[in-house]
Amino acid sequence: MAFFGSTSTSNVSPAEKDVEIADPPPDSISSLAFSPVADYLAVGSWDNNVRVYEVGPGGQTQGKAMYSHQGPVLSVCWNKEGNKIISGGADNAARLFDVGTGQSQQVAQHDAPVRCVKWIETPQGGILATGSWDKTLKYWDLRSPNPISTVQLPERCYTMDVAYPLLVVGTAERHIQIFNLTNPTTPYKTMMSPLKWQTRVVSCFPSSNGFAVGSVEGRVAIQYVDEKDSQNNFSFKCHRRDQAPNTKDQSLVYAVNDIAFHPVHGTFSTCGSDGTINFWDKDARTRLKTFDMAPGPVTASTFNRSGTIFAYSVSYDWSKGHSGMTPGHPNKVMLHAVKDDEVKKRPQKR
Amino acid sequence: MSWSGLAVVWTKGRFNSHAKACAEALPARYGRSSAPAAPFRAGSAGPGREAKFVRLTELRLSNHDHLVQPLPAHDSPCKYTMAKKKNKQLLRPWCWYCEREFEDEKVLMQHQKAKHFKCNMCPRRLNTAGGLAVHIQQVHKLEPENLPRIENALPGRDGYETTKRRKEIELGLSAGTISQPQAKRPKTENRALSEDELKAQLEAHKALMGANEAPAAPAASESQGAVYGAGPTAYAAPPAPAPMPGPPGFPGMPPGAPPFLPGMPPPPGAFPGQPPFPPFPGPMPGMPPGPPPPGFPMPPGFPPPPMGMSPPGMPPFLPPGIRPPGFPPFMPGGSPPFMPPHNATPPFMHGATPGPPSASATPAPHGASPPPHGGSTAPPPLTLPNPALAQTNPDSKKKTDLKYPDPNFSPDERRANHPRYYFAKDKLASAPEFKTDAAQVSGLGGEESRGKKRARAEDFL
Repeated sequence: MAFFGSTSTSNVSPAEKDVEIADPPPDSISSLAFSPVADYLAVGSWDNNVRVYEVGPGGQTQGKAMYSHQGPVLSVCWNKEGNKIISGGADNAARLFDVGTGQSQQVAQHDAPVRCVKWIETPQGGILATGSWDKTLKYWDLRSPNPISTVQLPERCYTMDVAYPLLVVGTAERHIQIFNLTNPTTPYKTMMSPLKWQTRVVSCFPSSNGFAVGSVEGRVAIQYVDEKDSQNNFSFKCHRRDQAPNTKDQSLVYAVNDIAFHPVHGTFSTCGSDGTINFWDKDARTRLKTFDMAPGPVTASTFNRSGTIFAYSVSYDWSKGHSGMTPGHPNKVMLHAVKDDEVKKRPQKR
Repeated sequence: MSWSGLAVVWTKGRFNSHAKACAEALPARYGRSSAPAAPFRAGSAGPGREAKFVRLTELRLSNHDHLVQPLPAHDSPCKYTMAKKKNKQLLRPWCWYCEREFEDEKVLMQHQKAKHFKCNMCPRRLNTAGGLAVHIQQVHKLEPENLPRIENALPGRDGYETTKRRKEIELGLSAGTISQPQAKRPKTENRALSEDELKAQLEAHKALMGANEAPAAPAASESQGAVYGAGPTAYAAPPAPAPMPGPPGFPGMPPGAPPFLPGMPPPPGAFPGQPPFPPFPGPMPGMPPGPPPPGFPMPPGFPPPPMGMSPPGMPPFLPPGIRPPGFPPFMPGGSPPFMPPHNATPPFMHGATPGPPSASATPAPHGASPPPHGGSTAPPPLTLPNPALAQTNPDSKKKTDLKYPDPNFSPDERRANHPRYYFAKDKLASAPEFKTDAAQVSGLGGEESRGKKRARAEDFL
């Protein structure tokens, strides 16, 4: 397939090996987000800071800006214009960083750490959604210090994703709430996770007709919102390892830390606490690519706006508690030049 | 015989019956997973083949997908594997007697003829274990119970057991369990449920879901029917602010009346117990001495540079060559001397003095730093909001080693509660910053402050 690969849109010869971002955060990376307009990568870290890197065409990176929370940063996102970065932190606050002025300011407040921030681009304008461990989801118009609306969640918000008009919130105790953003204050549907273990991540299809759920038990469920598509729901195991090299028991089960959808092809990546990353095609139900094992858990991953760069972070994810926090643990953000046949859907054999 | 051909031939006998079974099962909710791997052990495929085995660990019914209905959402969909088309790689003929794997069936047959199916009373070699047994009985007139053991076999595998018995051994069943092909599923699941059963199931379901309805109830009452785009005035009492001894005017302050000037950093005294603010080396952040950076102003961002183009198309945050104060520390090698935490306004603006803000940019070395908040506040233990709803992990079907076994708290919650990361809530009470900030973002305020900045910039030039 190399022949086809060479006809891809990108004329640059991609680096063979994944590139490591220069000057990464000194502590674990919690969240990654690419700007929707340029190859700028925002990196949120447990060291309380958000760093912004510019990614050059050859994968070379340069630090561009940094701002701080008063507590660890748990989530970052960009606004649609790509001139503002919003981040949520364990300091119960969401902060907005203006790329133009270099100012950061608090824009949202919760009673508990803000686990998720998401920018929602509605026809009426941009809105910030914040999900917190205080069991609320709040919508903010950034011009006002008070939320437009507060929605009570059944449990602590663990994860959230948006593909307008779909917003999906995954909470503790395996609740999943689906919102239709044309009516954002009442859940469109409340359900239990199709997976039987703690929800770690939800990620919406770019087509916004469904979402993927990842659990701590090395499993991903593909879930469609509409009842009529429910025959396409399924789940599969991943991020597991054999107890011993020769056994095929797959009995070491790792958490799925993040799921990222490719913006163009609709295929997706899963990354796990086992340090592996896979690309999948949910429609053909095949695995498209396996990455080499990273030297530590992969905590976050994201595609850039065109899907040509795949960024992932290798750092400790607290899966073994404090004792797993060894001094020499890697903290790095890697950039992978995405080849077309790694993410293109395969024709379905049926 | 190619591998794929092999699979087809060896599974053919079963295929028809299984397809029929699937078709019958269609009205019931049967998934692809209803095909247990075991019936597809080709070793059980037919008589005369008993000595040759093919490992078909994960053979899926790709040949008659059309017969199979995927599971509905509420059924446990967990049995699917993403890798359903991988059967070809997994087809490896192997020898029952010595566990060796072979390239293909031909080699396996050669191997078994040479190693295992040799008659020790004459030079004759047979093709199958059955053949050898019959040969010994008929030619050498030995009673069936006196048959010599198969040569070169692993302990316990030196017998002439039929294929069925072998499978029983493999699956750990007692003899005679497999008298006929395994039923695909207990029949009970196929038939329609009786009234009583339905009732019982409903009760069980209600009992299961009852717990979830309690927390769901307040959701309805609390969603105050707010409308998008409604001004903040619509809310007399904002629901958000925390009930904490906040700074004067914090919770109810109307927007637009900030206690501090937009863009001004909070007074240093605002964070008691925190590291003192480093002296600002140059101009106050927020009052930029230079014009805004070209190419990165407020209005709709920069044009998306085509991926894979050289940097000229890339709007820089800064004019090339000029390093923003507060962010230059990206130096090759060495620990990056980032701004210390709580120095919340790293200005990166054009025109400011290049170079790091000297002493202020003390590196915050990883690992060596004390708990960020002085350690004065020990984090309380994590408690469930409603202990009655504590979760337990379900049992796994097979032995698994779940790497994150806590069903009630996410790793992030645990981490955020560790003294090293814990953020004491009462810190917020002493941080009046929020008010300032929030006001600053308000459209008008934002415009104003930018206007001021522009003016200042022009002054500077």
